[in-house]
Amino acid sequence: MTDPQSLGDDLKRLEDIVRRLEDDDLALESALALFEEGVQRLKTAQERLASAETRVMQVLNEFAADGTPKVVPLDE
Amino acid sequence: MSSTDEAWSVARLARVLKRRVEDDFPATWVKGELVGVKRYPSGHWYFSLRDDLAKVDCTMWKSAASRLKVPLEEGTEVFLLGQPNLWEERTSLRFNVVQVIPAAAVGASAQAIERIKQTLLADGLLDPARKRPIPPFASRIAVVTSTAGAAVRDIITVANRRWPGVELFVVNAAVQGTQAPAEIVTALAMVARLQAIDCCIVGRGGGGKDDLAAFNDEAVCRAIAACPVPVISAVGHEVDVTLADLVADVRAATPSQAAEFALPDRRDVEQRVTMLGTSLIGAAASLVNLRQERLGRTRERLGTALLERLRRAERRVLGVQGRLAPALTRRVAQPQRQLARLEGRLAPAIQRRLARTRGDLGRLAGMLDALSPLGVLGRGYAIPRDAEGRVLRRTAEFAPGSTFTLTVADGIVPVRVEKS
Repeated sequence: MTDPQSLGDDLKRLEDIVRRLEDDDLALESALALFEEGVQRLKTAQERLASAETRVMQVLNEFAADGTPKVVPLDE
Repeated sequence: MSSTDEAWSVARLARVLKRRVEDDFPATWVKGELVGVKRYPSGHWYFSLRDDLAKVDCTMWKSAASRLKVPLEEGTEVFLLGQPNLWEERTSLRFNVVQVIPAAAVGASAQAIERIKQTLLADGLLDPARKRPIPPFASRIAVVTSTAGAAVRDIITVANRRWPGVELFVVNAAVQGTQAPAEIVTALAMVARLQAIDCCIVGRGGGGKDDLAAFNDEAVCRAIAACPVPVISAVGHEVDVTLADLVADVRAATPSQAAEFALPDRRDVEQRVTMLGTSLIGAAASLVNLRQERLGRTRERLGTALLERLRRAERRVLGVQGRLAPALTRRVAQPQRQLARLEGRLAPAIQRRLARTRGDLGRLAGMLDALSPLGVLGRGYAIPRDAEGRVLRRTAEFAPGSTFTLTVADGIVPVRVEKS
């Protein structure tokens, strides 16, 4: 399942990485590590964006053992 | 002025008058006092509406009258919704009424709403500081509405367009009628028990003003305020603001708009990702360029400084040598050998450090190359430099007539600026 919330984290981190890479005094080793992470995050973000269908569930007035309501796919 | 030859028939006059009166006359609310109220056995009502200055005859046909909750009562103040209608046989005008609301009822319900509003205000539930922001990337959204209505379908349509991949959790509740407030309160309690919900849309598709009552209910307002996740109200009415709208964290006019508030637009986010990719490659590329430049300069400086020190040492040794007696020459020769050895050791050490740094740069550059599908490196990037090898970054650095070089993928091209 896609989790757009972590997409938000990815984008925030990417912005942070770009900002830090733009700092001239960054040590080369750190720059390399940051760049590698940036590329990875970029890939993940693109994968997350290319994701799935909207899922529609109906919440029933019945509860599972853990106290959360049961859900079933909603017939349209 | 018309001549007698062109005289109209009465019927034509009546027809034209009818058109003039009826065409483009929107359904209109009129307030006044009911007089001469008569109900015919056919089920139609005939009456007049008047105020201090005027009076208009009205009809209410059986079909509309059957929806009346209380019979029309002589002498009461009412709001009538209707349109003028001209009866051609008599050219008589009547206001054709489709809906009646007793003014007392309007006043009473408005007062009741105002009382609830004051209570909510006193309890701080309308405080703007209470408003919670909607998470920018919601993935699980609860929807409290009637599954029989259009709201769910509207929200799904918007979600498919803007942000597919979201999960909607629909909690069914009547949104009009006497049972609506209790069902909405129960549904909101269900939402509170769902896991990891980002926000909740409470609302219904469009409808008349009568249907808004549930969203002015005090228990519903308090349940919205108590909801553990941000609530978007979507009562489906552009004009009337309900108490639920005031208590909700965000007010949307319709369920579609609520979905737009709750979900980011995929195209915006894609654009942002693309821009971040370009910035990332750009930042890395300029970092490599900068380091390469700096490395070049450091190498030169190191070389010059070292040489200078050796020369100075040599001069000193020679000077001392010259002044000293030849007998001491041997003692001087020893430091000289040390210096030579030092020179031999120092140079490889520096060489090694330079080589290491070059290696790092090479790896970074190699990675940039390998990632070429993402970026633009090696596809027409060129670096302009002046005669001293400094990278030119601003238009001001390109004076007309000046020369510089362009470093491209396979070599260096001399260039002259024609005009800036």
